[in-house]
Amino acid sequence: MEKNDTSHAKWDAQLRKGTLELVIMAALQKGAKFGLELLGFLRDYETMIISEGTLYPLLDRLKREGLIDANWQQEDNTRPRKYYELTSEGKNRLTELTSRWRQSVRDIETLLNAK
Amino acid sequence: MSEREQIHNYLVALNRYLSRLQKHEADDVLREIESHIYDAIDEQEKRGGKADPASVLEGFGRPRELADSYINHIQLGAPPPQGFAAIKSVKRGVSKALYYGMAIFGYAFAITLIFTAMANLVYPESVGIWSYSGGNSIVIGFFENALPESDELMGFWYTPFALVAGYCLVRLTKGIMDVLKPNLQVNQ
Repeated sequence: MEKNDTSHAKWDAQLRKGTLELVIMAALQKGAKFGLELLGFLRDYETMIISEGTLYPLLDRLKREGLIDANWQQEDNTRPRKYYELTSEGKNRLTELTSRWRQSVRDIETLLNAK
Repeated sequence: MSEREQIHNYLVALNRYLSRLQKHEADDVLREIESHIYDAIDEQEKRGGKADPASVLEGFGRPRELADSYINHIQLGAPPPQGFAAIKSVKRGVSKALYYGMAIFGYAFAITLIFTAMANLVYPESVGIWSYSGGNSIVIGFFENALPESDELMGFWYTPFALVAGYCLVRLTKGIMDVLKPNLQVNQ
C-alpha cells in the first residue's frame, strides 16, 4: 500500500511538472487571485497541490514572460496583496495549451481503449 | 525564538540570496512573501489553531533554494524582450568591461548624434552627411569647413534624422543594459 502511495505521488509530481503552467493559468481564467488564494484554490484538487516555494517563482516566471500581470491591491483593513491576472497574451497561450492538453487526453484515451 | 524573529530571520536570509536580482525586484519578492506568511498565520489562528510560522516557512523551502528558483529562470528560462534574442547566448558570461563598454559606446554615439543635430541648426554648412567616391563612401560629421568635392545629402533634414536616430540608440542601449544587468551582478 505504501509503495502504491509513493508511486502515485511520483506520478502526480511528474504530471504537475509538465502541466503546472496550464494549471496556474486555468486557475486565473475566472479572475485575479493572490498567491495564498491560488494555493487554497488548488488544494481542492487532489493531484494539483503545490507548495509556496513552487508557486511564487512560477508566477514570477509567467509574469516575466508576459503571460500574467501583477498588481498590489489593498482592501479595507487587510494587508496589501499582490493579485495576478491573465494578460491577453496569457489568454491566447491558455487557449493553445488547452487545445494541446485535450488532444493529449484524447490520444491517451484512444491508446488505453485500444484492444 | 519568537514568531516574529523566525520570520524576520527567514526574510533576511532570503534577501541576502536575492542580491543577484535588481533591488526593486528583490524588494517586491520579499514584500509578497512577508504578506503571504502573515496572511497564512492569520488563517491558522482564524481556524482556531495556534500560529505556527515554522510550518508556513517550510512551504517556501530553504531561503537559498527559494532564491535560486527565482534567479534560475531569469538566467536560463525567461526570454529576453522582443528584439533582443541574439544576446541571449552571450549574456550569461557578460563582464563589467563589456557591460560598461557597451553603455559608453551606445550613449556616447547617441549624444554625438543629438549634438550634431542641434549644431546643424546653427552651422548648417559644417554639419551633415557627405557622399564621397560616387556614393561608395559616406561621412557623417561636424567640420570647420565644408568638405570639398562632395555633396551634402540631407541639409536641414539631418537634424530630425539625427534626433530620431539618437533617441532610438538611447532606447536600444538602455534595453541591452537592462537585459545584461542581472547577469553582470551574478558575475561580480
